[in-house]
Amino acid sequence: MAGAIIENMSTKKLVIVGVILLLFQVFSFLVGGLIAPSPTTAVHYLATKCVDVRKHHQKSKWFMPWGPNQCEKIRDFDEATVKMIEANDIVFAVHIPLPNKEMSPWFQFMLVILQFDIAFKLVNQIEEGAVATIDVGLAYRDNTVSDWIEMAHSIEQRKLSCNFTTIKSPENEGRYYECDLLPFMEVGSVAHKYYLLNIRLPVNERKRVNVGIGEIKDIRLVGIHQNGGFTKVWFAMKTFLTPSILIIMVWYWRRITLMTRPPVLLEKVIFALGISMTFINIPVEWFSVGFNWTWMLLFGDIRQGIFYAMLLSFWIIFCGEHLMDQTERNRFAVYWKQVGPIVFGSFCLFIFDMCERGVQLKNPFYSIWASDVGTELAMAFIIVAGICACLYFLFLCFMVFQVFRNISGKRTSLPAMSKARRLHYEGLIFRFKFLMLVTLACAAMTVIFFIISQVNEGHWHWGDYTVQVNSAFFTGIYGMWNLYVFAIMFLYAPSHKRYGDEQSNGDLGVNSGEDIQLTTTITHVDGPTEIYKMTGKEAQE
Amino acid sequence: MGPCHLFASVVISMCCHVFSATAWSVNNFLMTGPKAYLTYTSSVQAGAQGGIQECKHQFEWDRWNCPESPLQLSTHNGLRSATRETSFVHAISAAGVMYTLTKNCSVGDFDNCGCDDSKIGKIGGRAWIWGGCSDNVDFGENVSKEFVDALETGHDSRAAVNLHNNEAGRLAIKETMKRSCKCHGVSGSCSIQTCWLQLSAFRDIGDYLKLKHDQAQKFEMDKRRMRAGNSADNRGAMADAFSTIARTELIYLEDSPDYCTRNVSVGLYGTEGRECLQSGKNLSQWERRSCRRLCHDCGWKVEERRTETVSSCNCKFHWCCTVKCDKCTQVVTKYFCARRDRSRRPPSSMRRRNRVHDA
Repeated sequence: MAGAIIENMSTKKLVIVGVILLLFQVFSFLVGGLIAPSPTTAVHYLATKCVDVRKHHQKSKWFMPWGPNQCEKIRDFDEATVKMIEANDIVFAVHIPLPNKEMSPWFQFMLVILQFDIAFKLVNQIEEGAVATIDVGLAYRDNTVSDWIEMAHSIEQRKLSCNFTTIKSPENEGRYYECDLLPFMEVGSVAHKYYLLNIRLPVNERKRVNVGIGEIKDIRLVGIHQNGGFTKVWFAMKTFLTPSILIIMVWYWRRITLMTRPPVLLEKVIFALGISMTFINIPVEWFSVGFNWTWMLLFGDIRQGIFYAMLLSFWIIFCGEHLMDQTERNRFAVYWKQVGPIVFGSFCLFIFDMCERGVQLKNPFYSIWASDVGTELAMAFIIVAGICACLYFLFLCFMVFQVFRNISGKRTSLPAMSKARRLHYEGLIFRFKFLMLVTLACAAMTVIFFIISQVNEGHWHWGDYTVQVNSAFFTGIYGMWNLYVFAIMFLYAPSHKRYGDEQSNGDLGVNSGEDIQLTTTITHVDGPTEIYKMTGKEAQE
Repeated sequence: MGPCHLFASVVISMCCHVFSATAWSVNNFLMTGPKAYLTYTSSVQAGAQGGIQECKHQFEWDRWNCPESPLQLSTHNGLRSATRETSFVHAISAAGVMYTLTKNCSVGDFDNCGCDDSKIGKIGGRAWIWGGCSDNVDFGENVSKEFVDALETGHDSRAAVNLHNNEAGRLAIKETMKRSCKCHGVSGSCSIQTCWLQLSAFRDIGDYLKLKHDQAQKFEMDKRRMRAGNSADNRGAMADAFSTIARTELIYLEDSPDYCTRNVSVGLYGTEGRECLQSGKNLSQWERRSCRRLCHDCGWKVEERRTETVSSCNCKFHWCCTVKCDKCTQVVTKYFCARRDRSRRPPSSMRRRNRVHDA
């Protein structure tokens, strides 16, 4: 008997394996749902309006919104008009986090969203295509008394896309415009305890800077970071999953090297899938707790991208190797047409990511969406990646269709075949259908949970328990794909029963000859032989 | 000058109530002592003031225009009523206090927004690092409850109605909150997204509560059970009656008095001398009919006054602080309700005549 473990396993054993995997699956959902808090927290900040009272603007001075050494504040801009304060002397100060709290490396990243409160005034409306020019500085310190140390300083432009929902009449003066959220800042590691943002909106009438942006009343920021509890649970999960996938990988490769023939393409691809899974799993994030590695966010993106590309390639090659149409494959080059779009699409997304998160390593306030050219470029990358994804799915669907067509073709001729040939084809069909089913189930689960987590408010109350749906989604889906890779490596490893059979039935003559020939032709190590061609034709008839 | 005195007195009375309440209050976040309140009082004061300002805006063209009478929120004299209008005052004041506290929390005015009482068993910084703190709005709600609801010391149906309206006002903030989301997954995709609720502008809350005011229900209890006199029975009847009313709805006990005529002893100022709108672009129907509502229907006539005003024009604005304007003089026509010269006719016939006139 030839083929993978899955064919040679008894149904009972297969069920046991399935139940164990299912238990782990449930466990991974529960870990996220019951132990972890929600994945992220959004904190609201309202900027304090400080007045720069010094005659000359020195760059070193930082303005604190509260606490000791707080700045001179104004309540609103009417007060500023009375006091003859100029726009360039007003500094919006935001301290992250709020009083009596401190940031922690467990937060992993920090995103800040900017929102302007712009009041409608008949005589001072927002002009078409208005752009706000923001002079922003970011500083940090690790205790409450030392000086602020500058981390970044930049002059950024953000397009205001605001609309006024009610009638533009004098009665509605003072109502706020509805403005889109603006991306403001993204930091890939939270190594310091306290952060301070100082924002200025300098006005220069000659250069048309900050003219026609309406009457800004307030600046609101929303700071988003990953919850420390979620990070801990996530790290724990990664630390647990890494050795499990690593062990099965070693076991799998040992099995392949034990065989007399060299490994075939499909086996290599499965092994590569394991490697990319391990690459994601390895908990290098532990270092981010100790070191200030801002590139961790980008690195995480790259790791995920590699895994997705690998998974998509695996599906294509798996289908191709089960086509049963007697064409020679088993070479990676045969699949260039199908794998090409994946590689190209991933590359596009990689470039896009480098343009956004890569540049953010240098300037945390950078956003590719802030400029027109950047937006077009970003859209171009995303559209190309989208086209590649569509192409890929067309190819995949076509291949799956071909496989099913060939399966139904083979079905009719199965009884007429010799035993070995029949077993070979039955095995192929079973392996394909099994993987197809499992893959579809996993994909469906991912999609369903994704939709639930998008629609849902984040947590369900179940009696006394609060179930964090979003956390459950992340840990559950992550666990699921790990189990998927684990199961594939385990079940699709070459069966050792074959060797036993080979040794004991070594003198079976023609029959065993055909058997060996088949095992090699399934996997297409060498070109189709005469026998294969003959029997193939016979089968087609 | 008027509002300042009023609100100072209101806040002082609030503080006194809260201070006296500490003796029996077991709420965690108030256990820190009276000093903690002092940090909130200015916010509470500003919030109540903001609420009344919004009330004035909302009722600008109504017969009752949210006058500052000591009757509104004071609890000591027996004159207080529970009309449709006072229900709005209670709701908007409670909402204003909650709104300001929530906002000032985001500024960083308070040391302990949200982190102390919401996550039981996990205190201070560790809870913050593990799972973040609860929303600022919960903090605002709790403090607003402590301050505003403490004014209601009675246990009668009137107190219950007022407390219900306070609660409805606070719920209005939560109902009008807007949900925003940000995607930040791989390459900025939506595989991970964070959503949060954001306060809407206080004007929107005012609009929402005005709508609730227009739909306010009269609170009626089972009269027979009330008459039985048994206090336990009484409370049961009250609970029964409250169970049928949604928590977001405003309720009142008494029908509104006639706001046309002046009667200062019961806190009615009348509509004589009020401004109204008659013609002009972009007026809503409610505004266009304000003269009929305030003047004609009340038996006053509409008086036209032309005034020359100096206003700024051709202004050049920046987002802040500098405005360069020219001065222009304009003749502005305003309309006011005034006493009729002739002997008063009954208002019913007046109404008919005016309707013809309007058409």
